[in-house]
Amino acid sequence: MNVESRWILAIRVDELPDGEKTALLLEGNKVLLLRKEGVFFAISNKCPHMECPLSKGTLEDYVIKCGCHDWKFDIRNGEFLDAIEIKVPVYETKVMDGSVFVNLEGAGI
Amino acid sequence: MDSEKRKEKLRAMFSKVVGPLGYKFSPDTELVDFLLEQEVNIEKEKGSPFCPCQGLTGEREHDMKLVCPCIPFHREHYDAMKRCWCGLYVHKDIEDPDSLMQISLQEFLESKK
Amino acid sequence: MKKVVLYTLSTCPWCMRAKKFFREHDIPFEYVDYDKADDKTKRDIKEDCLAHGSEMSFPFVKIGDDVVVGYNPDKYSKLMGL
Ligand code: SF4
Ligand code: FES
Repeated sequence: MNVESRWILAIRVDELPDGEKTALLLEGNKVLLLRKEGVFFAISNKCPHMECPLSKGTLEDYVIKCGCHDWKFDIRNGEFLDAIEIKVPVYETKVMDGSVFVNLEGAGI
Repeated sequence: MDSEKRKEKLRAMFSKVVGPLGYKFSPDTELVDFLLEQEVNIEKEKGSPFCPCQGLTGEREHDMKLVCPCIPFHREHYDAMKRCWCGLYVHKDIEDPDSLMQISLQEFLESKK
Repeated sequence: MKKVVLYTLSTCPWCMRAKKFFREHDIPFEYVDYDKADDKTKRDIKEDCLAHGSEMSFPFVKIGDDVVVGYNPDKYSKLMGL
């Protein structure tokens, strides 16, 4: 199978302060972009439990806690802390020329 | 949203959660239907589809671990029974759910000693 | 005959089966639906459950001085001497 990268321009670097998060709609995909210790992380904004937007949750260290029922996910690998078999999709990010790009490869399946 | 539709929505969301954990909906379709219906009613009343077979205490930390599917928070206990407490979900290899027993948490913990 | 008390939930099929078991065996029993109870009763039931190492799993069946958590007809029968 030929898996192609789909790098999409998300935001400008200075639009998201460190420790913050923002919900984005990238080509129809609900994405949550987070900035932590200078690094950008992108995950699906839909909680794997009941699809609540994770953007309404709270971020502590590298863990986002869904605001609906408190399920916790590691934003680095998407793993649900109480059962790592359950994952929120994670997307690659890169910074180029002051802008953040998200690789939507595999999104929307 | 009407109840039937919500039931189907819960069914779709929850099967994606329990699948990776090695569980499926019980082959006892009547039981599954009844339990999902209870969850839809509980969700209407309390805002979340809490477990129909376990009691809420009003403490968020306790109660949020009883939103269906609660398997991640009771994994070892349920794996030992090959079903969740309600029997809504069973291990994927189970064809005869009536052969499975409810084992209390205390019995389970004692059996591990 | 031993006194039988059931703590149940109005939404729980195994609680219904437990009630049915005692009914079918003509054993008189009392029951309280935890989810429909007032706050004071709820607190008492919670204490009782926790004291028996049960995390609020229903049905909670008291037969004389013994407790069975869960639907378990074999245990009910044994404790009732059936
Ligand atoms: S015991 Fe079963 S039905 Fe009840 S919340 Fe847990 S997974 Fe859902
Ligand atoms: S929807 Fe996120 S924890 Fe339930």
